[in-house]
Amino acid sequence: MSATDLTQADFAALPRQHSADQLSRPSLSYWADAWRRLRANPRAMSSLGLILALLAFVTVGPMVWTVDPSVQDVDHIGISPGADRQVTLTTPFIPWEPEALTPPTPSTGNPLGFTLAQSATTQSVRLTWADQDSPRRLYRNLFAPEDTGSFGLPLADLDTPYFEDRLDLQPETYYYTLVALDAAGEESETTATLTIDVTRVISIAQAQERGLIQPDESAEIGQTLKLAWHPLGTDYLGRDMLARLMYGGQVSLFIGLLAPLAFVFLGVIYGSVAGFLGGPVDQAMMRFADFVVALPFLLFMILFKVVFGIGPGESGILPMLAAMIILLWPAPARLVRGQILQIREEAYVSASKLLGATTPYVVGRHMLPNTLGVILVTITFQVPSAIFTEAFLSFIGMGVAPPTPSWGAMCNEGIKSMLTRPHELLFPAMMISATVLAFNLLGDGLRDALDARMRGAE
Amino acid sequence: MTHSTDNSAGSTVGAPITAQQQATRQPLLRVDDLHVDFQTYGGVVQAVRGVSFEVAAGQTLAIVGESGCGKSVTVQSLMGLIPMPPGRIHKGTATLRGHDILASKFVGGQDIRGREISMIFQDPMTSLNPTMTIGRQIAETLEVHRGYSQSQAFNRAVELLEMSKIPEAAKRAKQYPFEFSVGMLQRAMIAMAIACEPAILVADEPTTALDVTIQAQILDLLGDLQQETGMAIILITHDLGVVARMADDVMVMYAGEVVERGSVDDIFYCSGHPYTQGLRLAMPSNKRAEDGGAEQTLLAIDGSPPDLFNPPTGCAYHPRCPHAMNVCAQQAPAQYGLGSTSASNQGLSHQAACWLHHELCAAQKDQP
Amino acid sequence: MLKYAAKRIVLGLITVWFIASATFFGMHAVPGDPLTGDKALTPKIRANLEAKYGLDKPLATQYWIYLGNIAQGDFGISYTQENRRVNDIIREHFPVSATLGILAIVFAGVGGVLWGALTALYRNRWPDVAIMFLVILGISVPSFVMAAISQWSLVNLNQTAGGTVLPIGGWGSVWHMVTPALVLGLSTMAYLTRLMRSSMLEVVNTDYVRTARAKGVPATQIFSRHQLRNAILPVITVLGPAIAGITTGGFVVEIVFAIPGLGRYFVQAIQQLDYTVIMGTTVFYGAFLVFMVILVDLIYGLIDPRVRVDQ
Repeated sequence: MSATDLTQADFAALPRQHSADQLSRPSLSYWADAWRRLRANPRAMSSLGLILALLAFVTVGPMVWTVDPSVQDVDHIGISPGADRQVTLTTPFIPWEPEALTPPTPSTGNPLGFTLAQSATTQSVRLTWADQDSPRRLYRNLFAPEDTGSFGLPLADLDTPYFEDRLDLQPETYYYTLVALDAAGEESETTATLTIDVTRVISIAQAQERGLIQPDESAEIGQTLKLAWHPLGTDYLGRDMLARLMYGGQVSLFIGLLAPLAFVFLGVIYGSVAGFLGGPVDQAMMRFADFVVALPFLLFMILFKVVFGIGPGESGILPMLAAMIILLWPAPARLVRGQILQIREEAYVSASKLLGATTPYVVGRHMLPNTLGVILVTITFQVPSAIFTEAFLSFIGMGVAPPTPSWGAMCNEGIKSMLTRPHELLFPAMMISATVLAFNLLGDGLRDALDARMRGAE
Repeated sequence: MTHSTDNSAGSTVGAPITAQQQATRQPLLRVDDLHVDFQTYGGVVQAVRGVSFEVAAGQTLAIVGESGCGKSVTVQSLMGLIPMPPGRIHKGTATLRGHDILASKFVGGQDIRGREISMIFQDPMTSLNPTMTIGRQIAETLEVHRGYSQSQAFNRAVELLEMSKIPEAAKRAKQYPFEFSVGMLQRAMIAMAIACEPAILVADEPTTALDVTIQAQILDLLGDLQQETGMAIILITHDLGVVARMADDVMVMYAGEVVERGSVDDIFYCSGHPYTQGLRLAMPSNKRAEDGGAEQTLLAIDGSPPDLFNPPTGCAYHPRCPHAMNVCAQQAPAQYGLGSTSASNQGLSHQAACWLHHELCAAQKDQP
Repeated sequence: MLKYAAKRIVLGLITVWFIASATFFGMHAVPGDPLTGDKALTPKIRANLEAKYGLDKPLATQYWIYLGNIAQGDFGISYTQENRRVNDIIREHFPVSATLGILAIVFAGVGGVLWGALTALYRNRWPDVAIMFLVILGISVPSFVMAAISQWSLVNLNQTAGGTVLPIGGWGSVWHMVTPALVLGLSTMAYLTRLMRSSMLEVVNTDYVRTARAKGVPATQIFSRHQLRNAILPVITVLGPAIAGITTGGFVVEIVFAIPGLGRYFVQAIQQLDYTVIMGTTVFYGAFLVFMVILVDLIYGLIDPRVRVDQ
């Protein structure tokens, strides 16, 4: 490649080409470019997928999982997901006659002689101990006393050497602690703890009632059956968590999606009217919006809820929607007004008008497409805050009325039994977090994709 | 330019030669075969493709070219202002008094930027910190490089503002950028740039954002300050009027390459590259076009600048060149030395990268 | 500046009046008048209320009495507790909420600025990715869930440690404040971190930072003098709403951690429909938040020269 190899022919004039005017990259419209950028953003696309999955969960889900969310499964109260569904058939409950029993004698390892009288079932746990003069106090705990430093729930103070516990027994491991009381009724140092695994039992009559066995089907005592399946467990009333999450999601997403759509729509109309009219009308309208913005939002949500009240049989969804719309429209209104005022002054609008464009054309061709992106992003970011608002209000007892489920209300119920049954809090909390996360990431992606300044960069 | 301040070391003709200059007999700044590219989403942009030049003390070198030709990238890469990544200097050297400034901006533990080379930018409105007073921003340079105390530096900043012909400098120094007009801001930028009496001032389109009368004032100020301090100026512009007014030497860039260089007279009166000729014909003039014949209309250069994602083969200008030949599309031309018009030329020898100066071509055709 | 401050305060007072009126008429729109409703009132409370509010008088008169009382800073008497003045309730419980809130906002502000600046400096490298992951988590998890989870973790922590490392609830010592303040500040901190990050990223690429670099200013000084100061400005503007968020977030945190603050009291009053306490605390909180927003704006004006000189 050296200049000495050149010949005269190389210096002949090059035929003129017009390739220089061709653009080497295809030109994309604003929306096509935005869509391309959004698609190239894996976080935004996966959050979009997550949103679609959540929508399918609450709409298609109930058709697939047809369990009634308000039906209580009394055999399955507050069970965790994947809990043992086995149940043993047993005889109907027969009252205990402990007087016939001989109380156990104390031994060196067990000075109180604390023993289990019969095998422990969900029907009853029957305990007995040595008969002595001083009274005894009996405790029950779900955790080992040496771990928590507490004996748990005091069941009774007893003079008799036996006790039958039938209080809300679940197929779990219980720690029963017997404490000897002194003459003054104070607890002494003498204690004994029994670790007891309770098995789930059901009588044949009950099993038939629940439809676990057919009335004409023969069944034997001791035979094991399987109870109804709750893939995500049940809540403190024995209601199916999966079904409640689906129906609760309908409420939460309904409020979370509809409220932003409604108040952003209202705000867009208000803001564009103010922006178009301008002058004193605009000033007055915006002054009013300023006042509404200055109102502390959640306080007024609470106030609205107190004022509207919730009548019997109402869910409380509509008052919440109404309050959100009444309080939240000014922010998008101000945003849109600002945009309209700004775009009105842009050179391309003037140019368009000079070329004879009519107002509807300017609105349709310039104003709307240029504000639509901002509006879309606003709605996306308002969805998480609406969902949070619903959850917050439901949490402080001002949201939807029971028995209507919503994710926030379920969290409120779940938090009470958080230490023993965390799934009742965690599942609805995860649904809220997933939704909020998805909309936040989508909002980020949309903002980046629609931001004209970013075009061509990175 | 006035000669009223001619009591300083500066002389009117040629470069004022400092002791150090005489000792080393080197140009102040020498740039050799500089290549800068950017990794972007669309691919690699080869913004600067083998640029070489020299700057001597007291001289003004103008770098000329249309938007996107790589002139700003060239000087910003010398100043270490290119964000890396995505930017990358993948080849070339740059030495200031023999010191490699691409490897390190520090000489004797001190940053050369602001001390040896300083820079002013196109848009003074955004180039100053909005939440700091003008005086503090000028003082900052002195505190960093000269170790002045705050009050010392501030007093000096006021003097510098006076040197930059800002009225009521003491009061102005306590004001914020948004209280200044654009022209005043550019003066303040200049005051900031000359604070440490740098050897080289890089002015990146210093007048583009200004209106014409302010442009003239700023150019006069730069000229006066050069007279007083004897600093070299690298002036980046696409305005040939500014070049004619300010420059000693000119370097014309196209598509990241130097297409022609020479003294200002060489470039204006005997340009050797079709692109330079195109630029000249596109420049408005109040003279009748004596040299080009009867043409009085402005002539635009056809087409648009090449896509640096994928620069053309051969000479980058060939798709737009009215004299394009077969060889232009195949091989990149070498730099051909051309005769100089100015007798006492201390600056660059006149060179152009164009096949038209090849002997075979010269034999075949007349000079364009 | 003074004129601007006076204007803002007058507008703030009007907003408080608006809040007070909305609260009053809202409460009186409750079917069956809250004060003469079907809730059993002891004769003593009834007599007190009637004396206080002139309940037999027309609504307009009652409104003026109410406004007069509020203007004097008198929020009335509790509806469910004999002779307990709402002022006393606020005086007793608000300092607790305020302490918690201040701790939370300091934590959120300092953390947000620090993490935000850090993520911007390490953009797209692992510190950025890790912190932003936590931030996204902080934004996506409701505060009551965060409170419940942290309490659950404390229970486990104390269990494994075999003693009380940090109390799981209640109020009293500094140690009682740590976890609730962290939980309360967390979502705000996450939000501020995001804001600070994007603000910082904008500042990093500004022309004036490039100028500072061209002046040879050392990187640490560029960071502290040019980048941080300018990037913090937008963060300060959202501190007003952030304080509102922390105030209402406090309701939840106080409930979960059994902290005797005004927020918990307010929620209890709502659940018991203690109308006078609801009205009193709403107006009090409303006024508090309105003036906090004004305060933040005024402080911003002091920091940003552009606002300062303009007004």
